[in-house]
Amino acid sequence: MPDTSTIIEFILIIVKAGAIAMVLFGLPLPLTWLERKIAGHIQVRLGPYRVGPHGLLQPFADMIKLLMKEDIVPYKADKLLFVIAPLLAMVPAFAVFAAIPFGEKVTIPGLDYELTLYLSDMNVGILYILAMSGLGIYGIILGGWASNSKYSLLGGLRSSAQMISYEIAVSFAVIGVVMLANSLSLLDIVRAQGGNILHWNILYLPVGPVWFFIFIIGSTAEINRIPFDLPEDEGTLAAGFHTEYSGMKFAFFMLAEYIAMVTVSVLAVILFFGGWNAPFYIPLPIPPIFWFLAKVSFFIYLFMWIRFTLPRYRYDQLMNIGWKILLPLSLVNVLATGLMRLYF
Amino acid sequence: MAEDKGRILELIKRVLFTDFVKGLTVTLGYNVSKSITHKYPDEEKWVPYRRFRGVHTLNRTETGKELCVACELCSKACPTQCITVIPMEDDTGRGIADRVAKVWKVDLVRCLYCGYCEDACPTRAVRLSREYELACTDLSCTVRQREELLKPVQVPESFEGGVIAKSEFLRSKRGIKVKVDLSITRKRPL
Repeated sequence: MPDTSTIIEFILIIVKAGAIAMVLFGLPLPLTWLERKIAGHIQVRLGPYRVGPHGLLQPFADMIKLLMKEDIVPYKADKLLFVIAPLLAMVPAFAVFAAIPFGEKVTIPGLDYELTLYLSDMNVGILYILAMSGLGIYGIILGGWASNSKYSLLGGLRSSAQMISYEIAVSFAVIGVVMLANSLSLLDIVRAQGGNILHWNILYLPVGPVWFFIFIIGSTAEINRIPFDLPEDEGTLAAGFHTEYSGMKFAFFMLAEYIAMVTVSVLAVILFFGGWNAPFYIPLPIPPIFWFLAKVSFFIYLFMWIRFTLPRYRYDQLMNIGWKILLPLSLVNVLATGLMRLYF
Repeated sequence: MAEDKGRILELIKRVLFTDFVKGLTVTLGYNVSKSITHKYPDEEKWVPYRRFRGVHTLNRTETGKELCVACELCSKACPTQCITVIPMEDDTGRGIADRVAKVWKVDLVRCLYCGYCEDACPTRAVRLSREYELACTDLSCTVRQREELLKPVQVPESFEGGVIAKSEFLRSKRGIKVKVDLSITRKRPL
């Protein structure tokens, strides 16, 4: 018979996992609204405006529409893979959040119980996250393969090629951060950046900014967002890998995509922008989670901002950037970081 | 040498992402700028200039007499033959002469809004108004009868136009309507 504290611990983990899953399921609703609003305002329009005040209820209308839509499986498509693919894309996106910390321990006022703001402190957290987010690509490839459509197939192929060329650069960028923090655990990486803004990895001159740019370019390609959204390039491939998908299956792909964007924003904050550390000392009781969420929202905004600023790269340009610039640059940077760690 | 210098400068610009930052500043500027969208029909409505040619209207004199003398010149001038006029004799003082229109109807589906009827009219009875909301759910509203056209129009002839006016979106059983408030207007942003 386990003692009560173990049971409480166990229940807490289930509650936390449930809470994170609920938040992640709900997150695409405000994010789609935000994306359309930002798109509108950047194009000097208003964006959604008619459903609810300032179009706030638009995502719910979209959700109802997607739920009611006919669920089409194309003739001669591989039925099983076609149904499994959206799930394969979505589940890893959720699984990533098992290792992501949102803050240190907080004490619940009144109960006097210490609550950790992370599900698990894995000692190889960053490795787990890279592996899991890499798995999500199978959903896209299989979706493209099973659809029995040339557009989907090309989208899936592009996705896999893009993943191979950019995952390497991203992993090297993460290696740089790991070298700076001497740990693979995300909590330790954040702790190593404690103190003020000067301790953040982005300001570890001169290699920090280079790592950051490699990471952000590589992960933009990995999460299929403009300027690297070739797997769903609507100009040439209709809608790429999800051309044949409709209804809830399509919604699952979108869900995975938005969660991937949040994941990358969170990782950028944890790896380079000091996680939940305040940028400078403020004599006010601001909870660390505030800084964390503020930084993450900035990155989410940045991704949307870039989306409506830049045009799409051509496919060979994408490969050139990946193999000829980012990969050599990250190798040189590993060397430079190593030397700096040794002699400074 | 000068060429080399230019090349190095170009490389430095590339490394520092200057073009990228420039692009982002432009879009950020647009992001925080005011939108040029008309909030039609909920809050705003475009009131056209006087020269605008919309749905026909039949005018009256200041004393309320009908200006139309049913001379049928408008229907003769019409290139699409969309105006039907049937005259009748009337000495009760309804019109300015003792010949008035029994029927004056225009088929708005065929009308091409050229304004020839306006030009042909000897008494300036037919004018093209500034009403342009013609959408409806069946064909019944596409033919406008004399009684309807004699009613005063929403935007009077004296109003300058060329502005966005505050409006109200009204739904009723008979259809939808956008009522303008001509006292609150603003110029169109460029």
